[in-house]
Amino acid sequence: MATAARNKKSARRRQLEAAINYPIDWLEERSGLIGGLRYFLFRKVPGDTGWWHTLGSATLTAFLVQALTGVILAMYYKPDPQNAYQSIQHITNDLTLGWLVRGMHKWGASVFIILMFFHMARVFLFGAYKYPRELNWIIGVTLLAVGMLEGFTGYLLPWDQTAYWATVVGINLNGTAPFLGPFLADFLRGGGEIGTETLARFYSMHMLLIPGLIFALIGLHLYLVIRLGVSSPPWSREAAGSDYDADEPATNGRSGLTQPAARSGWRRNGGDDV
Amino acid sequence: MASTEEWRRQFTKYKEDVKKRGKPFYPYAMFEDTIMSLVVVSVIIGLASVWYFTSGEDPKTCGSGDSCLLGPRYSDPADPATTNFVPRPDWYFYFLFYLLRIFKWPDSVILGTVGIPTVLLIIAFLLPFIDRRMERRLTRRPVAIVGAILVVLSMGVLTYKGATAKEALASEVVQAVPTWAQRQGFAGNAEAIAGAKIFASSGCTACHTYLGTGSSNQGAPDLSAEGKKGRNKQFFMQYIRDPSKFGNNVMPKFGFNDQQLSQLAAFLLASKGPK
Repeated sequence: MATAARNKKSARRRQLEAAINYPIDWLEERSGLIGGLRYFLFRKVPGDTGWWHTLGSATLTAFLVQALTGVILAMYYKPDPQNAYQSIQHITNDLTLGWLVRGMHKWGASVFIILMFFHMARVFLFGAYKYPRELNWIIGVTLLAVGMLEGFTGYLLPWDQTAYWATVVGINLNGTAPFLGPFLADFLRGGGEIGTETLARFYSMHMLLIPGLIFALIGLHLYLVIRLGVSSPPWSREAAGSDYDADEPATNGRSGLTQPAARSGWRRNGGDDV
Repeated sequence: MASTEEWRRQFTKYKEDVKKRGKPFYPYAMFEDTIMSLVVVSVIIGLASVWYFTSGEDPKTCGSGDSCLLGPRYSDPADPATTNFVPRPDWYFYFLFYLLRIFKWPDSVILGTVGIPTVLLIIAFLLPFIDRRMERRLTRRPVAIVGAILVVLSMGVLTYKGATAKEALASEVVQAVPTWAQRQGFAGNAEAIAGAKIFASSGCTACHTYLGTGSSNQGAPDLSAEGKKGRNKQFFMQYIRDPSKFGNNVMPKFGFNDQQLSQLAAFLLASKGPK
């Protein structure tokens, strides 16, 4: 009787498993996406990575907060000089939780910029921009520049005095560049004066052109991170890929007191493959 | 400097080491990433809450009634005509903003606006090709350490200076007009006094200095003795109406009417330098 119950249960279980697995297998057979996700989740990273390595995903989170709150703001914001200021007041003071959405977008921008700088500093201090990750460093610097441009175009949108005069100065600064400057300033203004055209232009760049660019660059950035892996902290005794024997031969006069310890630590943890 | 073969050998070894001794991304690294992301979202919500709950619907209540710990919800509506407002960019451009106070218009301002930022950006892009040594330990990268400290220090100082740069408030500057008239000797000239008041209340001193009042921002010149340069009233009116026609792309157009332009021109013409 016990055997029959177990058989019955396992038959039900088999049915359940088949029901769950069928759509997953269907998707995997036709796209390979499940395999990709498994690779992403269960790929190995160096054992000595830690909190320092969370700055990149923290920056991504800040950007996703901007994308989400930005989509909601775009539903209520009116990008023309007659209505922009009132729509900002309406969002902040009247809409349910509108203050939270706008506040998160306003302050999230600064957090995003700060985190980009921190992430950049981490990569610099770890020497993680060296071969074979040069290209990803360049994409990162581009993201920083484009991210600051996103901040500049977004700053005008509330159409208050702060916004307006910061943009007057910003556009005039662009205008001082040699050769291209005046054209760039005219393009940004959309004419001789800062007005309706300028606001529409900045709005379009701020919510279509630049975010699209940022998404694409982040995609490339992450692809390269997954393909090339993240580097161990340089001070780690078991840093992946470090080869103290070849890098610092015993005859090298610079190998001081710390070297033998570092080498023996390395041997202890992975000596079999040296 | 390492050879390509050395780099490749090292990276092959990296991949082997990670395969042999690494940990799976999920759940180990992902756990830390998730915690950090939650911290980031909490900080953003915290900033938004402090900003909202310490400010009121009217930006004028800041300082009287509302503490506005993180600034007002918005400033007054944009008004291109009345310009008694001190222009200032968002905080991450403060370093650039202050860099412009160091360089004086018109000879070297281009160094501050375009030159230095461009050079910095190019160095940042080319960093992996400038530093081609294999060494990653900081204690053995003295140039990188010194460079990083210098960059952080100068950006920090410039940002701080940009944040605390004192621009005189328009209401305070207007108080100085009678003194100016006396020192410059145009106390009897009603048109020049009217012009001086426009000059004082329109934010001109955010960039220009006049008899020691104001700033020298973005390379704008001291105007205390502008009337001694032998220019006529017509020149001043045209210049202020559209500075870009005179090759000045830094000073904005302020949208003054003809009467205001005439008064401003009279004021500048009467400014022959203190007696």
